[in-house]
Amino acid sequence: MNRVDVTAGRWREAVQARLAAGERFAGAWATGEPVRSWRAAFAVPDGGIAILACAPEAGRVPSIVDLAPAADWDEREAHDLHGLDFDGHAPIRALAGHPEDAAAWTTPVEGEGVHQVAVGPIHAGVIESGHFRFHLVGERILALDPRLFYKHRGLERAAEGRDARAALGHVQRACAACAVANTVAYAMAVEDALGIVPDPALRRARTLLLELERLYNHLNDVGAICAGVGFAPGAMAFAALKDRAQRLNAQIAGHRFLFGSVAAGAGVSAIGAAAGGGARERLRDLRADAAAAWRDLEFTASMQARLDGVGVLTFEDALRLGAVGPAARAAGVRSDVRAHSPRLAYAGFVAADPPAPSGDVAARLQMRAVELMATFDLLEVLLDRPLAAGACRPGAEPGPLGAAIVESPRGATLAAVELDSGRVVRLRLRTGSYANWPALAHATAGNLLPDFPLINKSFELCYACVDR
Amino acid sequence: MFVLLRQLARIRREAGLGRGRPRSVALRHVDAGSCNGCEHELALATTPFHDVQRFGLDVVASPRHADVLLVTGAVTTRMESALRTAYEAMPEPRLVAALGDCALGCGLLGDRARLAGRLEEVLPVDIRIPGCPPAPDAIAEHLLAGLDALGPGATGGRAATARR
Repeated sequence: MNRVDVTAGRWREAVQARLAAGERFAGAWATGEPVRSWRAAFAVPDGGIAILACAPEAGRVPSIVDLAPAADWDEREAHDLHGLDFDGHAPIRALAGHPEDAAAWTTPVEGEGVHQVAVGPIHAGVIESGHFRFHLVGERILALDPRLFYKHRGLERAAEGRDARAALGHVQRACAACAVANTVAYAMAVEDALGIVPDPALRRARTLLLELERLYNHLNDVGAICAGVGFAPGAMAFAALKDRAQRLNAQIAGHRFLFGSVAAGAGVSAIGAAAGGGARERLRDLRADAAAAWRDLEFTASMQARLDGVGVLTFEDALRLGAVGPAARAAGVRSDVRAHSPRLAYAGFVAADPPAPSGDVAARLQMRAVELMATFDLLEVLLDRPLAAGACRPGAEPGPLGAAIVESPRGATLAAVELDSGRVVRLRLRTGSYANWPALAHATAGNLLPDFPLINKSFELCYACVDR
Repeated sequence: MFVLLRQLARIRREAGLGRGRPRSVALRHVDAGSCNGCEHELALATTPFHDVQRFGLDVVASPRHADVLLVTGAVTTRMESALRTAYEAMPEPRLVAALGDCALGCGLLGDRARLAGRLEEVLPVDIRIPGCPPAPDAIAEHLLAGLDALGPGATGGRAATARR
């Protein structure tokens, strides 16, 4: 992994040059205690990753939030967890820290009739813990401050000092629904640092696991939008389809969430030898039933009437805020990491086109349906011959730093790892959910409070892999 | 409204309708720092595919309506007070079920400074549901077995033998 070091004084200039070259801000993290380096990763259009680093001066670095608004949460997190200060990021509101004073973490919204509604951290349904602070006039949402990190377990810190291969367990525990995407990204980052590359069999096995994860997640997320509307038959039908996909996971890889299948620097374990024929038959049945359930949804007028024009994320805002995944593609951003993933088996992959890139709940739902069918196509090809565990072999220069980006069901997920003698010095996991929370909060403004559950479900972001 | 409710009670009595299964149990879920796996499986348990409601189990929106607090995850320092508040809000008698290996304190991962300690050190645990995560049918099985073992008085149910 190439790293370019610049002085703090030239940090903004270096970032600006990267962005001007069409590179996308992909995440930033602080290393050392006290912080000795502030690093930012950029996704190069052809699929590479560029990393910039600068040494803080007296615990301060220049902020880049005006150049790359997507860096907002990264800077706030580093401020709260690593004590780094950012010149020009003012006020820097608490994100991972939970100060008592609401003014320290909420957007100031004032005026006649403005009031706040506080929701969480415990919610009424079976949902993860997190807090939402809505600023309203009547039922109209003026602004939303999400307050996450209630589930902050310090997994990245706990991984420090551990053997790089063993630390994969910490990444897997970050989030069940993105376990494969997160661990494959981590494994590829470790392999990048160790200078080894996966062989074709391993690429294929990992790609299969990634698509199996996408399959059950997209089925879940279509059902979640039905639940957000209050359309129980759709929610229940897709929950049952999701359960079938998870049973298939257990058949193929021995676990409903595919836990324990990915390893860093080694082949995929526990891929059932008998997965081949039977699995394909079950997938075809599942595809037919999913297509039928989707047709039913398309002809349910009472449900469709609730989706148009709700929770709009415009193309410009999606780009500006660094949104990723189906949410960004539904806004017309044609970006899918799978289209340039040479260390995975996605040869010839083309990002799916949204039926109508209107950026609203309807577009996000349609996008998932289109991608769901693309995933069935990919799985059909991946399962057309017997699978092998695969292995890694030497193929590149080793170095102290490795990084990889993988397309999770929620979008581009970055894993960056810094190693010393095979042990983790620093780990950073920046998931698709982390990238999209600010976009969700932005898309919520201007809508009615009762529409929030629907908007929230149309993004269907994780809390667990944001909080870590 | 109250006139209507009195009429409803009379109509139900005259029609011979009981007050539901004597051992129906209301569950309130709290995520105290999970990976979201237990939530996925618990949510599936309540869909028609698994239908835990047929055993008299259902998830309710408020701890004030709950007999059992179903807790998932390693208890983070950030969730500890919210978890205690939810427990305090429950009517007695109340039970706590640890859902999944993290809540059971098995193989916990994380920075010690960010974890409040095992669930057992925060609240008394009555029912243990192992698994990472436990599958929907395992959740129902362990809950029912745990309730059976505790007997009908544990959730304030009337004297009726527990039968699935």
